[in-house]
Amino acid sequence: MADSNVLLRVENLCKEFPVDSGFIAKHSKNARSVHAVNNVSFDIKAGETFGLVGESGCGKSTTGRCIMRLIEPTSGKVIFEGNDVASMNAKELKAMRRDMQFVFQDPYASLNPRMTIGEIVSEPMVIHNTVPDKDERIEIVRTLLDTVGLNPEHINRYPHEFSGGQRQRIGIARAFALRPKLIICDEPVSALDVSIQAQVLNLLSDLQKEFGTAYLFIAHDLSVVQHISDRVAVMYLGNMMEYSDWKTLYAEPCHPYTQSLLSAVPIPDPDIQASRNRIILRGDPPSPIDPPSGCPFHTRCPIAQAKCSQDKPELREVLPGHFCACHFAEPNPIKESSIEL
Amino acid sequence: MFGIGLKKRAKQDLRDTPIPEGHHLLEVNDLKMYFHTQDGIVKAVNGVSYTLDRGETLGVVGESGSGKSVTSLTIMGLIDMPPGKVEGGDVLYRGKSLINMTEEEMESVRGNDIAMIFQDPMTSLNPVYTIGRQLSEGMRLHKGMGKKEALERSVELLRMVGIPNAEQRVKEYPHEFSGGMRQRVMIAMALACDPDILIADEPTTALDVTIQAQIIELMQEMQQKNGNAIIMITHDLGVVADIADKIMVMYAGSPVEFGTRDEIFYNPIHPYTWGLNRSIPEPAIDEKHPLTPIKGNPPSLVDLPKGCSFAPRCPYATDKCHNEVPPIYTTETGHYAKCHYCNDKDFVAKNAPATSRTKTAPIAEKKGADA
Repeated sequence: MADSNVLLRVENLCKEFPVDSGFIAKHSKNARSVHAVNNVSFDIKAGETFGLVGESGCGKSTTGRCIMRLIEPTSGKVIFEGNDVASMNAKELKAMRRDMQFVFQDPYASLNPRMTIGEIVSEPMVIHNTVPDKDERIEIVRTLLDTVGLNPEHINRYPHEFSGGQRQRIGIARAFALRPKLIICDEPVSALDVSIQAQVLNLLSDLQKEFGTAYLFIAHDLSVVQHISDRVAVMYLGNMMEYSDWKTLYAEPCHPYTQSLLSAVPIPDPDIQASRNRIILRGDPPSPIDPPSGCPFHTRCPIAQAKCSQDKPELREVLPGHFCACHFAEPNPIKESSIEL
Repeated sequence: MFGIGLKKRAKQDLRDTPIPEGHHLLEVNDLKMYFHTQDGIVKAVNGVSYTLDRGETLGVVGESGSGKSVTSLTIMGLIDMPPGKVEGGDVLYRGKSLINMTEEEMESVRGNDIAMIFQDPMTSLNPVYTIGRQLSEGMRLHKGMGKKEALERSVELLRMVGIPNAEQRVKEYPHEFSGGMRQRVMIAMALACDPDILIADEPTTALDVTIQAQIIELMQEMQQKNGNAIIMITHDLGVVADIADKIMVMYAGSPVEFGTRDEIFYNPIHPYTWGLNRSIPEPAIDEKHPLTPIKGNPPSLVDLPKGCSFAPRCPYATDKCHNEVPPIYTTETGHYAKCHYCNDKDFVAKNAPATSRTKTAPIAEKKGADA
């Protein structure tokens, strides 16, 4: 793993949110907490797109926010360009955030309605004082707006004058204003219609080719993640279940959860859809306040055995570069014969 | 609608009357629903037509604001008028017009003959009543059941939609259910009176994929058992590929293409349908193809373009498209599209996206078309 190319390394990241409020409840021995992120480790190389998928509440957004310290991680290390983000002071943190930016999910809530888009996009440059000259800054903003496919003449308009897709472009322009090395995209296209979604996905790929930025791409839509990512990780109940390069993960998933997730995605092609072998999981994901013992997935897993409810499987390298947290991990552990539904 | 006093009524249901000769279960003819607002007239539904029979599933796809929800709300008589106004067209259910019905007649149809599942299971249940009471409400109103009988039937329904421990769960409140479970309750509620038509408005959009798969499976099972028709409104082409028999693609308030599932997926003839197809990331395993998005944004429904409403975004638009509203062109099989050029076979063959069928089998045929 000691690759010189590694831009960001996350080691055993944990985040717990207290459930009980009040001083005594918080400090009592049996204080309950939501285990949002549980021992998550991965690394992102410079210039690549790392996809993070999972169902709602699996901790994918929390992971993204912990990396940038928008929320404080409970434990673990986040090493960005050799420095531990988790132990940085405010000054160091500010300097680090020049190289790490964020694109938010909701393009309606993440832009200040009282600022013109020129002000919004130039704000990072003002905060970090990278371009002290105002005219020069405006020139850069115009170029950026043009790059993301917006009319530079609209620099003095307000966010409400733009559609959802255009607002997401403004958010992307803002994230690129400082030419960061890593952008964390938290569900950047899930609020958009398919035709607009494709525009934004293409824009993100084009910008990556131009600037060489790495992305941590967080989304729940598996086909979107497959389209944009070089490597993909699957999370469930705060745990990393499997990660690998996108081709292997989608063609030969090792974890039964990944397989069920992939098989649950309807494919917009009736012939293929009819010929697929679908695994429909029973029940709902368990509560992260009281996660199951052993493997977090064993309560819904079609191939779970006694061992799964006792020992928690560690993430292990089943094939080079392919990590999976399952006792029975092998390519395609769920075979037709093993499903009893 | 959710009054406290439940009138007991046990009258003849419309679904027991036979469908008149030459009619379908549901016929929507050139329906127009406009909203009169301060900004002008919003043409939310502008000429929608389709037919539906028992046991069939119609998929309605389109982007947000394309009028797919308003169409079904109009059928249910759930649009406030004003500001809404039916400006033309009709909806016939078993040969009887739903548009001209009195509110009282409509009440006996709504939730009884035609039932609806809403998108957001978090907000469409009343938080202050138990699940059992909310489930019973429709049966007591429409079937004249007593409290006890209705509650027993509620338990049965919950069991049918796969909720474990149903006797206990009917006494619980909506907040004690998860999202997927609440959507199951909504389905149970919609099926309580054994409706002829089930309208599902984005029933799985708020749910995770593994839960979505469960809900779709459940809806299909229920349809096989009861023989009801389903109108499935969604923006997800994957969902309609899974369950629809017929598909209507909507854009800016009008259907731009309508056909069987095979026609829409393997022989689409409208440029907007092609655009949607190319915008979706392909589930290809071998290599990634760049997406071809549709340029621009949907038009404002207050100020629709003069000609074809898709013309400003259509890569093949000509002067004719910008100036003349295209007619509806129908093939022998009932497959129709609203485009000036969709009956031009060469145009379609040249520009339609490749599908899994054209890619594998008829390569020879494609070569012939190119030459």
